[in-house]
Amino acid sequence: MKEEHKHGKASKFGMVIDLDKCTGCGSCMVACMSENNVPFKKDETNKLDSITWLRIYKLTNGKKFPETDICYIPRPCMQCEGDHGHSPCVSVCPATATDYNHETGIVSQIYTRCFGCRYCMAACPYHARYFNWWDPVWPDGMEKYLSPNVSPRMRGVVEKCSFCFHRYQLAKNKAYAQGRRELKEDEYQTACTQACPAGAITFGDLNNSHHAVYKLVKPDNKHGGRPRNPNAFRLLERLGTNPKVYYLSSREWVRRAGDNYIKDEVKKEHH
Amino acid sequence: MSTLDEKAKEASTEAVDEVETVLPPKEKKQDNGPWGYIILFFIIGFAASLVIGWGIFPKLLYSQKKQPIDFNHVIHVEAVEEGCESCHFFREDGSFSGVPKLVQCVDCHEEVMGEDPNEVKFVEEYVAKGQEVPWLVYSKQPDCVFFSHIAHVKMGKIECDTCHGHIGESTHSRVYEENRFTGYSRDIWGKNIAGLKKNTWDRMKMDDCAECHAENKAVPKTVERLPWPISWMPRPYEKPTSSQVRTQIDKDACFVCHK
Amino acid sequence: MKVCRRSFLSLVIGGAAGTTLSPLPWKLMDDSSIWTQMWPWTPVPEDGEVSYVNTVCSLCPGGCGLTVRKINERAIKIEGMKAYPVNDGGVCLLGLSGLQLLYGPTRVKTPLKRVGARGEGRWEKISWEDAISEVVKKLADLRAKGLSHTVGCISDSDRGTVAHLLGRFLTVYGSPNFIRTPSMQDSYEQTMHLMHGVQASAGFDVENADFILSFGSGLIDGWGSPVRMFKVNSALKGKGKLVQVEPRLSNTAAKSDKWIPIKPGTEAALALGLAHVIIKESLYNRDFVNNYSFGFNDWTDDRGRSHKGFKKLVLDEYGPDDVAEITGISDSTIIALARSFARASKPLAVCGRGQGNTPGGLSEFMAVHALNALVGNINKKGGVWAVPDPDYIRWPEVEMDINAAKGMQANRIDGAGGKTYPDSRYLLNRFPEAVNSGKEYPMKALFVVGANPVYTIPDSKAVKEAFDKIPFVVSFSSYMDETAANADLILPNHVFLERYEDVPMPAGLQKPIVGFSKPVVKPQFNTRHVGDVIIQIAKSFGGVIADAFPWDNYEACLQKTLGNKWNALNKEGFWLDSNFMAKGWKRAFSTPSGKFEFFSRAFAAKNENLFQQFRPVEPEGDEGRFPLILIPYDYMRLASGCIGDPPFAIKTVEDTVLKGDDILVEVNPKSGRGFREGDQAILSTPKGAVKVRVHLFDGIMPGLVAMPRGLGHTAYDEYLADKGINFNELIGPVEDPASGLDAAWGIRAKLTRA
Repeated sequence: MKEEHKHGKASKFGMVIDLDKCTGCGSCMVACMSENNVPFKKDETNKLDSITWLRIYKLTNGKKFPETDICYIPRPCMQCEGDHGHSPCVSVCPATATDYNHETGIVSQIYTRCFGCRYCMAACPYHARYFNWWDPVWPDGMEKYLSPNVSPRMRGVVEKCSFCFHRYQLAKNKAYAQGRRELKEDEYQTACTQACPAGAITFGDLNNSHHAVYKLVKPDNKHGGRPRNPNAFRLLERLGTNPKVYYLSSREWVRRAGDNYIKDEVKKEHH
Repeated sequence: MSTLDEKAKEASTEAVDEVETVLPPKEKKQDNGPWGYIILFFIIGFAASLVIGWGIFPKLLYSQKKQPIDFNHVIHVEAVEEGCESCHFFREDGSFSGVPKLVQCVDCHEEVMGEDPNEVKFVEEYVAKGQEVPWLVYSKQPDCVFFSHIAHVKMGKIECDTCHGHIGESTHSRVYEENRFTGYSRDIWGKNIAGLKKNTWDRMKMDDCAECHAENKAVPKTVERLPWPISWMPRPYEKPTSSQVRTQIDKDACFVCHK
Repeated sequence: MKVCRRSFLSLVIGGAAGTTLSPLPWKLMDDSSIWTQMWPWTPVPEDGEVSYVNTVCSLCPGGCGLTVRKINERAIKIEGMKAYPVNDGGVCLLGLSGLQLLYGPTRVKTPLKRVGARGEGRWEKISWEDAISEVVKKLADLRAKGLSHTVGCISDSDRGTVAHLLGRFLTVYGSPNFIRTPSMQDSYEQTMHLMHGVQASAGFDVENADFILSFGSGLIDGWGSPVRMFKVNSALKGKGKLVQVEPRLSNTAAKSDKWIPIKPGTEAALALGLAHVIIKESLYNRDFVNNYSFGFNDWTDDRGRSHKGFKKLVLDEYGPDDVAEITGISDSTIIALARSFARASKPLAVCGRGQGNTPGGLSEFMAVHALNALVGNINKKGGVWAVPDPDYIRWPEVEMDINAAKGMQANRIDGAGGKTYPDSRYLLNRFPEAVNSGKEYPMKALFVVGANPVYTIPDSKAVKEAFDKIPFVVSFSSYMDETAANADLILPNHVFLERYEDVPMPAGLQKPIVGFSKPVVKPQFNTRHVGDVIIQIAKSFGGVIADAFPWDNYEACLQKTLGNKWNALNKEGFWLDSNFMAKGWKRAFSTPSGKFEFFSRAFAAKNENLFQQFRPVEPEGDEGRFPLILIPYDYMRLASGCIGDPPFAIKTVEDTVLKGDDILVEVNPKSGRGFREGDQAILSTPKGAVKVRVHLFDGIMPGLVAMPRGLGHTAYDEYLADKGINFNELIGPVEDPASGLDAAWGIRAKLTRA
């Protein structure tokens, strides 16, 4: 299998979010929820138990009026590769309910295998994982819009963004019907990418130099995928999680906020 | 710890005392008396539970359901040109149509064509009323399973009967046995209650998928033919050792078949 | 035989041994794991054939194209329609949540008649026939008494076939009281009317502008057609500039190239100050100003009175120093802004606060528009275009009987088009006061179509009182909104995914386009198209009223109206006049002077000069008692129009806006002294006092309190109702002296400890 990777057959799907374009409008959040059968409940203002595979955080530069600035930062699952698939959540899961797929670079989550220990939630530095504290309840009649491509979850399991993996599966099916094995760039796009009215999200294969995501960040795949575009950054880069979601910002304070650290902490250099 | 141990000792001595005092002195003297009964009852218990487990339990576990229409595959296969795919076809988007919808059947069965009472029933009760037939699907998998027919049939060149058996040769619909506990068809676990199988189509559990994928690993050509570089399937009841983790996560993801 | 204890134990052991050798425990273990992994109460969505249906969204004035994914007969996902001229694949979160409206619990499932007191929520299901005959009986009765003019209709739009059917019905029935819900469109239409002399909407060629100067417009907070504006904003990056003038760091301000905080309500003064610099430094477009404009220089009217021209006025009174004083913006900033605006190759100035759901003072709109005129960016690439309504609705003239003619001669209840406000068309903000005071005449019946005035109109208390005074209120809402809850009869319309409808002219678009909604799924409940209901009501009247509606049903009417466009619309989903170009300067203006008028001659006859002495619209309330000023803010995640937030949308709202059921108001830490983040407080204005929580935010000008619109619903479902406060409870309308439109931008307020 390793040989296959070396031959460059395997993909590494990743996302680039342009924070200069992102308006924080929330379309990506809702596109994600409706694509993935994410439930909702009466009060969703406790953000710790509000399931949002993709959540938009609001950053401020902390300056006083009128020097204040804000920036929105959408946070899907980062699909960390870590050190060769050793992503933080995958390595702690005692049930093999989550694993790293080298074929796509996507971290999976199998609800029926998960028994709800929540180690992965503790391990995830991005708070990208959510626990179902309750069974999902759709008001009478509303279950009609549920999609058969993603199974609704039950109480007691963890869920998270899958980069709309089912779309990859369906795109593959379509390609097979046409006798192809390879997917074109636009055939597999996540729901949030497709919905973003500002065109701030780009999705594609980071291993494919023809794809827009590659061109935007120019990842240094020999060094954990670090971006070579000076405006690009990843969240908590220094943790070495090797995430596949990149952000672009022309504002320095935003880029600095992305790799937040304690004041006196000595920053470890990566080589 | 010490107190716990002491308590346990006390309890066990008490139990011994009790046995000794309770046993009536008469029986002690009989030759084969108590042991005969003991063996006899053991055998009764053993036999009864075997009968229950092998005979009665499966009957209780599954309810028997009849298909709404007794369907004759043979007649249909003879009448169509492209075999299974005439009715169970792939859509343009690569999805599999599964059990035909009324629209397809109506293509031929707008009016009653033959004399079979089942056809008459079908036309009168479903076609005329525009109502879908509530077929019971023998091979229906739980919602957590994603299965791509096209990957296996078109790309993997696997015949339908590898998994579904020779259903095309059936003249009547089998009784559908529904697991009262889970609600799924008996065909998933397999007809054999012990879970033994002779043919590839006898069971449709995850292990059966894994078995086939593991076998095909041995034949390099087949592996190449497979849509995913599948050679490893997690065995659901084992937790791999840490050295295995490395190699396993290198290979595949649960995601491929689970949603 | 005696069964002893030992035998029994033996039996049990034998049984246990046998059981382990039977499949029973192993099979049950497997089954129970399957059972617990797939609880029977977790829904299993049915799989099937995937299909896509294109339609057009009418949840807001944006008019985006949608592609709905279906599995068999179920609609499962809404996506943006690719290549649709408005949104090209993008879609906002309200549109994305549309299926929750379609299948949601807030639907009115069948005609309902009130049985309890108003707003009590006790209803009786009635048949469509009974419902329609009840309406007809009531209306016929009023007409017979010569009170046809006391019937009114509030609608969210006056364009398209449904609005035309409503208007037509009112005309032949005999009432002038068709009222469109207010928005910035009112102010822009009047600006076009006075300055261009045409009946048109303002279209903005934002795609081609390279310097957008926004006077508080939430360009990426839902202004105009939201998705289009997002795209424009993204395309502008690196190619052009966006300058946002606004007292609060909105999302638009945060994304802009420069945010200029301004004292709220003084935007018009800034526009005139910029004009001062542009004129003084001769940066204006000579060709346009000299050849195609009127009122730039001093002028004399027909009666020989002389008037100050625009030039003299701004040079005299709006020097950077004066304007700095009024607006709180430094004079150097004003001068620099004026220069960069005038020197840009395609500068564009826009206004309409927030999402533009409220109108504003006419002087403000005209002052901003005058800036566009100065740089000659009128009806030009990258500028403001006067876009006439698409004229595809050509129905035969109605014949009015004597009752209708008499009714139509009555004054409008809201005073629009009357003596005081001859240039205004609709003034819904004056409606509550007019009904409550009963000065004109008492309203006897009211239809509400596609609008939710009980929630959206300022001064909720007065609005509620007015509704209580009208004895017969009919709501055509698909959802149990606040207005429906306070109605006597609900005749539920299909939701937009179940019906045919033309959706003309998305807000702010520069080219005439007609979108086409078509049914994605069959009607889910016993609802009827409002167009059908109007036709049926008319037909029940018989006579001239019935004659005015020669169509069998709405679909037939729509098909006939669209004529040869029907097929194209059905296929493409829209009709676009792509060749449309705004008229050249020579033919563009139908004012008395035939030119662009900095001052409307007609207007000047009675209202001396709009810009003569700039007086900011003062917020209601006494400064001593209410030291702060409360302003509203709009943002995408809260729908503040007639549709309330569906569950998905409200879920995205941050916990710095809504926490539990409490709304958070933004206060600068300077003015919120003594308050910590999240503290409870009482926010009071002259209109009322409410409980809120405080969110300390550096991005808002000290002295202000900002509250989001779109919360505080009392109707809808448990996911939305009773969360937060409706801003309209805290503010009342302030009548613009020039137009009668609501010019309120804020109200004085006080924040005290709870």
